[in-house]
Amino acid sequence: MSTPAIETVRLRKEFSTRAGLRVAVQDLDLSVPAGGGVHGFLGPNGSGKTTTIRMLLGLARATSGEMRLFGESVPERLPAVIGRVGAVVESPKFSPNFSGRLNLRLLADAIGAPRSRVDAAIETVQMQGRDRDRYRSYSLGMKQRLAIAATLLKDPELLILDEPTNGLDPAGIREVRETIRGLGDAGVTVLLSSHILAEVQQVCTSATIIGNGRMLASGRVEDLLGASTAFRAVVPDPERAVAVLGAAGLSAVVEDGGVRVETTDAARITRLLGEAGIWLSELTTLRPDLETYFLRLTEAERLGREP
Amino acid sequence: MSDLSRLLRVELARYVHRRAVLVLLGACLVVPVLVGAMTLWDSRPVSADDHALAEARARAECMDRPRVHNDTAGSIDLGGLCLARVSERTEELLSRPPLDLDEEREGGSGPAVASLVAIALLLAGTTFTGHDWASRSVSNQLLFEPRRGRVWAAKAAVVSGAALVVAALVLSSYWLVLATVAEARETLRPGQLVDALQMGWRASGVAAAAALLGFAMTTLFRSTVATIGILLGFAVAGSLLLAGLGVSERWNPAMNLVALIDDGTTYYDDKCAYYDAGHPGDHSCAEVLSFTDAALYLGTIVGLVCVASDRSFRRRDVP
Ligand SMILES: Nc1ncnc2c1ncn2[C@@H]1O[C@H](COP(=O)(O)OP(=O)(O)O)[C@@H](O)[C@H]1O
Ligand SMILES: [Mg+2]
Repeated sequence: MSTPAIETVRLRKEFSTRAGLRVAVQDLDLSVPAGGGVHGFLGPNGSGKTTTIRMLLGLARATSGEMRLFGESVPERLPAVIGRVGAVVESPKFSPNFSGRLNLRLLADAIGAPRSRVDAAIETVQMQGRDRDRYRSYSLGMKQRLAIAATLLKDPELLILDEPTNGLDPAGIREVRETIRGLGDAGVTVLLSSHILAEVQQVCTSATIIGNGRMLASGRVEDLLGASTAFRAVVPDPERAVAVLGAAGLSAVVEDGGVRVETTDAARITRLLGEAGIWLSELTTLRPDLETYFLRLTEAERLGREP
Repeated sequence: MSDLSRLLRVELARYVHRRAVLVLLGACLVVPVLVGAMTLWDSRPVSADDHALAEARARAECMDRPRVHNDTAGSIDLGGLCLARVSERTEELLSRPPLDLDEEREGGSGPAVASLVAIALLLAGTTFTGHDWASRSVSNQLLFEPRRGRVWAAKAAVVSGAALVVAALVLSSYWLVLATVAEARETLRPGQLVDALQMGWRASGVAAAAALLGFAMTTLFRSTVATIGILLGFAVAGSLLLAGLGVSERWNPAMNLVALIDDGTTYYDDKCAYYDAGHPGDHSCAEVLSFTDAALYLGTIVGLVCVASDRSFRRRDVP
């Protein structure tokens, strides 16, 4: 196997706060393969995503553990690899009184990138016309786009994006998600941190899930989240449908005027109901919400078995 | 181009694009122009018009004097006496010290201009980096240049280098203009310009160190307000505090600053061993504080703050 783009081994970060020691990240083994694609980094607020990313980028010091980017030890060898890594950590951070263009130019000059890169990056995120306005006058979506433009100045192989859709309107969210998917398809390896389950399901091919600073699961998204375990069927007579499905050995209950069926096989539901002369007017996948999902994962972890 | 010179150029660009910095640099130009204009005006030579005006005023003063009778010795004409002294009185009214570069350098406008320029440049160094922290753009900068030691050094070099150049240009121009005018007024004495220029250059060094101190403190505290608060607090209460603690004037930063700018100074030490039999009870005596001693002392303070600042910048997490 080739060298992973990101690798952490037993990574740990403690913050000393007034209330005492707070462990933000513990024993985290994160591995993101290189070679393109979007890897989700999923966890609820406060689970340690940003802290992990800040450690990887040399902004925060790890308490213990190892980190590598493209096989290079971080933070020691960060200067050697940082040119291959673009990142947006939490909210975009630029000088509010400078124009978007000047902000980008100063960053490009710092790495000796040609000025044409600035033009290209501004074009890629479609900020022509506004690039000479002050950063403080930008909408949140534009700030977010400028931050992505800044990462493109390096022509990165690895992009680390920390909740890039936070605070955006639906159109902005769709735009950013499409951009990310496009970058992943174009061969860039993206680590997309998010607390939104649906976002990871839509955009990512693989994912790591963390809670309370610990890794809960990692793997392909379809294996982790994709296979739905429940469906909601809307039928004229829910009671009879429950009886039919129950007779076939499926667990089914009436819920909110429809029927909730536990199975991974949607076709079986349609066939069984159709054979009984019950015609479906609606069949939808019930995705577990993040809270339920995390409860299940943490419960499983506590009981010491696979989710 | 090497990485470091690239970084220096970037930081210089960042410095000159900050509006607050530009305003402060502008103040470094405007303040000396105003102070210089006032100094030149206040010392302008007496013109024929001035003379006529003053004489008229002296005469007018005499008009109020009545003719007073004294019974025993006849009458005394106070008004007449007054008129006899008009030319003397006119000179009095016109008394206006001519432009003297030594005076300006030692106690006049020179120290005032030098201090104001140094304060403006210190604030420029402070606000330059304070803004980075306030906007959190430091973290973005570090994503492009993670070698924090270099980033600190480049910013420090730009802040203090710019201060040195600006202060040297401004103060040299100040003394050159004053000397040119003094020359035209025929009050310039040999050696005065050189003394004044040297004072300006020493003050430029102080301004560069002040800017560096402002930068280093702000990077340490990550806040412009904290730095200005501490410096202001020390400026207001520092001397009192040191005196209260019984610390010798030798270690008073303000005294050392004077020694730096004036190329050595004299201070009075209450605790010196000197005992004058003629003045029992007076234990204080004059001590000389040399330029070198003052430079070593203040240089050590700035150096220690820089070391602490650089270390903290390398080690602490960046938000
Ligand atoms: N500078 C800090 N000092 C103290 N605690 C912190 C600091 N930064 C983060 N934390 C704590 O660490 C935990 C993880 O935070 P974070 O990494 O921001 O989570 P996420 O990005 O997943 O929302 C939280 O409990 C947070 O309060
Ligand atoms: Mg976060």
